[in-house]
Amino acid sequence: MSLVRVPVVRLALSVVAVVAASGLLFPLRPFIDTAAVALLYLLPVGLVTAGLGQGPGIAAAILSFLSFNFLFVPPYYSLRVLHADNVVALLVFLVVAVVTNQLVGRTRRSLELATEREREATRLYELTAALMGVTDPTAISQIVARQVQITCLPDFLELQLRVDPGGGVVRAALPAGAAPPAGRPTKSIPVQGTHGLLGEIALWISDGRLSSSQERLLGAIAGQVAFALDRARLAQAESRARVLEQSDALKSALLSSVSHELRTPLATIKASVTSLSGGEVEWDTEARRDLLEAIEEESDHLNHLVGNLLDSSRLEAGSLSPERSWNVMAEIVRAALARMRTALRNHRLEVDVSDDLPLVPVDFIQIEQVLANLLSNSAKYSPAGTTIWIRAQATGKEEMFVLVENQSPPLRDEDLGRIFDKFYRVTAADRVSGTGLGLSICKGIVEAHGGRIWAENTAGGLIFRFTLPLLFGGLPPLPEEVE
Amino acid sequence: MTQQPHVLVIDDEPQILRAVRTILTAKQFRVTTASRGEEGLTLAAAQPPDLIILDLTLPDLDGIEVCTRLREWTQAPIIVLSVRDTEKDKVAALDRGADDYLTKPFGIEELLARIRVALRHSAQSKSSGRTVVRSGSLEIDLAEFRVTRSGVEVRLTATEFKLLAHLAAHAGRVLTHHAILAAVWGPEYAEHVEYLRVYMRQLRKKLEADPDHPEILTTEPGIGYRFMADG
Repeated sequence: MSLVRVPVVRLALSVVAVVAASGLLFPLRPFIDTAAVALLYLLPVGLVTAGLGQGPGIAAAILSFLSFNFLFVPPYYSLRVLHADNVVALLVFLVVAVVTNQLVGRTRRSLELATEREREATRLYELTAALMGVTDPTAISQIVARQVQITCLPDFLELQLRVDPGGGVVRAALPAGAAPPAGRPTKSIPVQGTHGLLGEIALWISDGRLSSSQERLLGAIAGQVAFALDRARLAQAESRARVLEQSDALKSALLSSVSHELRTPLATIKASVTSLSGGEVEWDTEARRDLLEAIEEESDHLNHLVGNLLDSSRLEAGSLSPERSWNVMAEIVRAALARMRTALRNHRLEVDVSDDLPLVPVDFIQIEQVLANLLSNSAKYSPAGTTIWIRAQATGKEEMFVLVENQSPPLRDEDLGRIFDKFYRVTAADRVSGTGLGLSICKGIVEAHGGRIWAENTAGGLIFRFTLPLLFGGLPPLPEEVE
Repeated sequence: MTQQPHVLVIDDEPQILRAVRTILTAKQFRVTTASRGEEGLTLAAAQPPDLIILDLTLPDLDGIEVCTRLREWTQAPIIVLSVRDTEKDKVAALDRGADDYLTKPFGIEELLARIRVALRHSAQSKSSGRTVVRSGSLEIDLAEFRVTRSGVEVRLTATEFKLLAHLAAHAGRVLTHHAILAAVWGPEYAEHVEYLRVYMRQLRKKLEADPDHPEILTTEPGIGYRFMADG
């Protein structure tokens, strides 16, 4: 195929065709008429034009004309022509040959053009299909580089695409690993997006030329790249917008819940303080104490709330990593109970957490927060005067089980699984105060420790259970020294 | 010390300064306030205070840095104020010489109690030579290596005594896990909190009336321990 492209070879082939035709016709000279021979000589001219193109066709026409004249028009073996009718025959032959050549050549050219266009269309289609849904600039650049390689067969090509305005640049070069040739690229095509220049396709070609079809195709490829990059940018912007929208929705839910939650204790504090400082009423000792207790209680409540808010935002930011060290569960429970003293005032407490339990590798403050939240939740949802139990036990050498049980009304099964979700509230928000953050924080903290937390209905209430690993980095605490 | 004790409060929040000044003044303390670290250091040098209340979050200097620089020349007790969840900062301040800490928000009774303990402790360490520490019915003779509870001798192992003696010698002060481990077991054990947990449990069983609710050897959550001595 490639040899046929060389002009000399094509010329030679047209000569061969005419010589072969002459060779075949020559033995028939005694039997056929010159007019028939003239018609038969049109065959190689047509074939050569169709097969090899117009140039070789013209050569074949002239050569046929000469051979015809030389071999078949008397006097033989001379280019002289004696009879007038033979002159006419020769002239007609020449005209017909040239016209045939033109017609066949034109058809051939348009066929070639059509094939070329089809090939271009196929390439572009392949490229479009390959780029479909690809939003990663690196992947885009690689796909495009491969397509340019197939299309133009350059010695080396380099693709540079700007990922975002003022941002990083993605490069793709083929063949991979080869060093770019010295000197300027033979050809460079800009990639023009809707918002300005996005990059460049640079080609190094040793024979220095591209066909017009290749040029056209490169232009179209550059257009496709720009399109793909624009699309990728849009997709990115869209997903960013979606994330923002979600976090925005979360924030407004948080804000509305929190502002309500913060105002309630503030209202109590403000009311109590103004009552005490007003001076219009003489409060007796007991009333004063009540008011002061309310203030203290609500301040503690506010503080607890702010702690939960902070933990929640840390959880969100992924910065709630536990500072684990060996701790005594009984001490953590004691600290949590001390902190929640006022909130638990109206409940009976039964604590069964032995000092002799194995040490647990946990963040003291965080596990205390888990217990405080479970206790606060139990105190809020179970009637005053009922009992809250706290128990802990180690099962085997790998896990400690901690439970907080209360006598609140049972939950529906679907609620049991969801109460640890952020903002999930079982009761109507105005009946019992709460942000819906406490249990989600418990879950976040327990899971950060490698444990699990869940809730179960019991005959007379609700149990929160959580587990904590007893091994730290796969190891128990150091063995005790024997004295 | 015969006249009013002088307290320097370094905190950048004017509301806290106002409240603390009002209350401490009413409780017969002489109060100086500073809202920046450098200002606090200058004031401390100009009129050496008997006690310093130091907030760890200051606009100009790190509270821990202020603590370190104060300890270069004064032994006046330092009570650190900070918010919850900044255990690392509290530990760092205590390890650099602070005596005690309070978590905001705090009750004023709590602050007054800490101030009293700290002042007493500093007065006692000035008069020095004290070898007997008491807490309730417990009596520890540091020189004689003797521990008695209601007059009855309590038998302690060598490590138990070493630990108790270290805590008692710094009675009233919060000692970090790290500091106790390094002093009692040696610096190479500073990270092994588990030893401390085990020995504290043993000590409490031997010394406390109710080991589940310790009153002598108290836990400072996430920070360390403290020996509560009588005045």
